[in-house]
Amino acid sequence: MAMMGGVELCPAETNQASAGGEAPLTKIPIGPTVKYGVIGLGARGREVLKDLALLPNAPVTAICDNYAPSLRRAGNSDAPKAERFDDYQQLLASKEVQAVVIATPTPVHREMALAALKAGKHVYCEAPLANSIEDAKAIAAAARDAIKVIFQPGLQERSHPQRRFLLPFIRAGAIGETVMARAQSHRNNSWVSASSNPEHEKALNWRLRQQTSTGLMGEAGIHQIDAVSWFLKARPAAITGFGSLLRWKDGRDVDDTVQGIFEYPDGIRLIYDATLCNSFDKDYEMYYGTQSAVMVRDAKAWLFKEVGAEQLGWEVYARKDVFYTETGIALVANATKQAAIGTAATEGNATPFTPLYYALEAFTANVGKLDQTVNNIVAMFGDDAQSMKDGLKDFKPDAPAANWRDGLDATVLAIAANDAVVGRKKIIVEKELFDL
Amino acid sequence: MKNLPLLRLKPGTPALSAVLAALLFSLAAAGPAAAPTRYNAQVPGTSVKIDGTSTTHDWEMEGKMIGGYIEFDSGVKLDAAQTTLPGLNHGRVPARVHSLIPVTSMHAKVEHLPEVMDHLMQEALKADRFSYIEYNLTEMTFKGPHEPGQPFVFDTTGNLAIAGVTNKVSFPASIAVLEGGLIKVSAAVPLKMTAFKVDPPAPNIGLGLMRCGDGVKIIIDWTLKGRSPGH
Repeated sequence: MAMMGGVELCPAETNQASAGGEAPLTKIPIGPTVKYGVIGLGARGREVLKDLALLPNAPVTAICDNYAPSLRRAGNSDAPKAERFDDYQQLLASKEVQAVVIATPTPVHREMALAALKAGKHVYCEAPLANSIEDAKAIAAAARDAIKVIFQPGLQERSHPQRRFLLPFIRAGAIGETVMARAQSHRNNSWVSASSNPEHEKALNWRLRQQTSTGLMGEAGIHQIDAVSWFLKARPAAITGFGSLLRWKDGRDVDDTVQGIFEYPDGIRLIYDATLCNSFDKDYEMYYGTQSAVMVRDAKAWLFKEVGAEQLGWEVYARKDVFYTETGIALVANATKQAAIGTAATEGNATPFTPLYYALEAFTANVGKLDQTVNNIVAMFGDDAQSMKDGLKDFKPDAPAANWRDGLDATVLAIAANDAVVGRKKIIVEKELFDL
Repeated sequence: MKNLPLLRLKPGTPALSAVLAALLFSLAAAGPAAAPTRYNAQVPGTSVKIDGTSTTHDWEMEGKMIGGYIEFDSGVKLDAAQTTLPGLNHGRVPARVHSLIPVTSMHAKVEHLPEVMDHLMQEALKADRFSYIEYNLTEMTFKGPHEPGQPFVFDTTGNLAIAGVTNKVSFPASIAVLEGGLIKVSAAVPLKMTAFKVDPPAPNIGLGLMRCGDGVKIIIDWTLKGRSPGH
């Protein structure tokens, strides 16, 4: 083995010098309060409510689900002060809602996102945006044209401090010339949601049917496929898919095990696999370069240098870390602190919140800033279209987050990858698919 | 009648009603008073910067929004081709200026964590209570002669309100006449934060305590569009 050990690449959450000379990261301070409405109160919707509850400036003023028990449970446990709606249109009509999170099944994203944008609400829409390219483009076009609101697709890794820390590191060529990437998502989980109401159970399990789901590639793989495309700053030109239903033969018609080969420019390929049949090694991504490889998993990353690789300078101060038979030098941003308290490099977490939390934190900050800007324009120049266009021309969100373009690109790739899996074939990803 | 010397009538003067009638007649004969020329703030072409120092590095905040207007009496004509400025009153420009800068429109120009500086600045300026930096002109003096093609130059005095404290400030300003009925006002205003009871921020970020210097400079380029009289 040519590996020399793992060098942990980790951002400093607060007031810590980070590896590689990067500026320290600090949490975004409290900004303007943004009142939330959450639509869809299944498992994901409740995760949204829990993470919003951690933000001091993101009160949930309204919740919505068309299934009464879900609405009642979320209202009683996660958002007791929120007004309850069983119709999302009524929630959108509420003046107490500035921003909505759409955490409903993918097939209904389009109608809800378009209605929310039309109502002037800021929108955080879970990924993938849609199950069809036509729907994804309709959402993206509406988001692009709605200049007074923030639209953020649920590509949560784009806001994660660890990923933001790694991005310039990899793009700057710290691993040498990139030669390939690999990613996986392994679960031992049927993907089935149970309900005492058979009709509701059928609705809950929309992910198990091809008619309503983009399968593992779309519903699980989209985040990792997007991350690789983002890091490589490229789109694949072709995708070859494989899929099998090997274990969960319960009437579903989506595969429980899929593989895909994504062909990026310059001969670089991503090999991706996802399964619901085995959880070994769970989720991670690997980026392989001529000088070293980087592994990203959970909220951490490690650098594995090749023998003879160039010295980067800062790694000489690294602590040792062990991966299987490899022992090497591990660099940790807060190494001194960790050493003092006796934690191993593989323990602890410099970014202790969920990726969803960071995405919602960024969304809240950006919504607050845009609302302030819009209010200033209205107060001083009026609400006419030209003043708004002029005033928002240079608006830039502070907090890093995916935008409608990222959401469209990722959704197109997820749909294309699923098409390749379902068809057991290679498909060409035409550039026109991304046009808007 | 001690307090009204101008209305004191001497014996033999015409009745007050006759004086007023004569006055009204003369005003009517002169025709309606000419409307002032008003320039309203525009979004494009406007910028406002705050330059500051600190114990670690200089810092800068930038915004793109200044609201308000400038109004000149009808005799004042900004003609870039002329060496003089007509319509002055003993060298002073009969003008009214009201400008507003939303505190929340100012953003830090730094690569990392601009939102931290934004937050600190908004806190220091008490933006939750005083949303605007506000200026009202009290005196404007033309500094002639004007060099044709160049901006007109003035000395100005006015009241500047920051964070709820109003101070009289004086600074030179220039007005460039642009195409399309536009004018651009440029000025640089040095200030001390403590004069407005603003504590220079001292954030504990990065590798330690950073303390901002008291002195700052506000630099504005303010574009306004003229409105024809009667419109």
